[in-house]
Amino acid sequence: MNYLLHILIMVNIYIILTVSANLIVGLANLLSLGQAAFYGIGAYITAWALMTLGLTLFPALLLSILITASIGFIIGIISLRLKDDYFILATLGFQIIIYTVLYNWISVTRGPYGIPGIPSPKLFGLVEIDGILPFFLLSSILAIAVIVIFRNLIYSPFGRALKAMRDDSIALLSLGRNITKLKTQAFTIASGFSAVSGFLFAAYITYIDPTSFNLDEAIFIISAVMIGGTGNIKGPLIGAAFVVILPEMLRFVGMPDNIAANMRMIIYGLILIVLMMFRRQGLAGDYKF
Amino acid sequence: MAETILHIENLSKAFVRSIKTARKKDAIEKISLLNHLDLTVEKGKITALIGGNGSGKTTLFNIINGFLDADQGSIKFINGRIHELLGKKPDTIARLGLGRSFQDNHIFDELSILENMLVAGKETFGETPFVSLFSPGRNRKIEKQKTERAKTIIENIFGSGNYFWQHKAEKAKNLSHGQRRILGLLRIFMADFKLVLLDEPTTGVNPEFFQSITDILNRMVNENKMSVFLIEHNMGFVKQVAHNCHFIHDGCIRASGTPAEVIDNPLVRNTYLGF
Repeated sequence: MNYLLHILIMVNIYIILTVSANLIVGLANLLSLGQAAFYGIGAYITAWALMTLGLTLFPALLLSILITASIGFIIGIISLRLKDDYFILATLGFQIIIYTVLYNWISVTRGPYGIPGIPSPKLFGLVEIDGILPFFLLSSILAIAVIVIFRNLIYSPFGRALKAMRDDSIALLSLGRNITKLKTQAFTIASGFSAVSGFLFAAYITYIDPTSFNLDEAIFIISAVMIGGTGNIKGPLIGAAFVVILPEMLRFVGMPDNIAANMRMIIYGLILIVLMMFRRQGLAGDYKF
Repeated sequence: MAETILHIENLSKAFVRSIKTARKKDAIEKISLLNHLDLTVEKGKITALIGGNGSGKTTLFNIINGFLDADQGSIKFINGRIHELLGKKPDTIARLGLGRSFQDNHIFDELSILENMLVAGKETFGETPFVSLFSPGRNRKIEKQKTERAKTIIENIFGSGNYFWQHKAEKAKNLSHGQRRILGLLRIFMADFKLVLLDEPTTGVNPEFFQSITDILNRMVNENKMSVFLIEHNMGFVKQVAHNCHFIHDGCIRASGTPAEVIDNPLVRNTYLGF
């Protein structure tokens, strides 16, 4: 039972990551390779807020979202001036910089040793969220909240403007819309909500180190978005569930762990290739890549 | 003397291209496209711009609405106040009240017909993410007003029970070329522009749509008080709809007047029409 709940908590964490990445990758058509960096920033801010500042659950979560969103805003302003491939390179650079800083700024992040013993967050200073069932409930509530928020965004006039920009940015310019502003807003929101995943991860695992937020992780998030499909809300949900549950399935077919880890990457790669050939909109997406 | 809405003075634009030469150093060739061009568009009228292929008509449009920079000159847009358009960005120029349609339509393919109309609406308040999330009631009201406006616009032109409104949920990529052209014109009404630049509204369109396009242009000017500046190759159409006409050749305006006068001009006959 605990094993099942653990997997569902991880699914919830990845749902939040893919649903928010879908806003920039899927709707705004900006392939960001820096989503793991925002995830990591969220996690480290959470560790700092819970350990050093001693904040309770919601203040720590809000602080984590706000700081990550602010960093997302600044990175957005700088990188969104670049077009297409150059934007991807800029976010890649950002991802590597954040990883390097987390890894080497030992006096603040403890570098490769990571931060152990992150305390459980307290709800209004009263109820301690500890143990697997409370975390499952907390992560489910947050995941549902994030899904509702992004569903509203996708089907709002803001989402419509993003879809229009994806289709034809020249036409949208000629109708008087500020393209850079739209992109920056989408990028900031998506980055800010990645921090929710970071919060859950740090508080649940109680230990974070930089390797959880490296480039592999960023590519993993983008793969989840692409496998699930973009442009609607069910695509990222299916993508997140798929990439988290698949490696667990491999355990049940009796594959040894050391082979399963490699097999996982081979299977993801194969799935991406097969999807690109036969189903370019992903398992449940609206748009073709 | 009629009121002016657009006044272009001394506008020049040259494209620079480097040519590979036998010697290592590349030579630079300057192609002068617009050469000290002066032009005026009258308010509340349909003004046509005619000229041969490659004479710089679309380039001129791209400079007016900010997609291209000019080398020198001035473009004044007079809409209550006088705005200098050179140096401004396309979205800023559009917000001042200057819109355009495109030769290749530039319709939002993945959006429905209705969404194509709504996204063009002048009111952008609901498009900020915070309003989308935290003010759903007000947002819904704006959306409803926009939808009503889209319906009125379409029904005014095509009557009730027309194709566009019946298929409003259809994705725009499923429309024919002529229908897409018309949708591109219809969305201009949503944005409430004061001056619109139309790049070849009838080119490549099935003649059955000519009457609709003529209706739309007349409605823009007569009922919505817009001014229209259009590029056109179809002289019959120009004669039918335009009040004024300019002929562009060798980078500047060589003949101006009513369409009939310009078409009868010997220079226009020799260099462009060829009869």
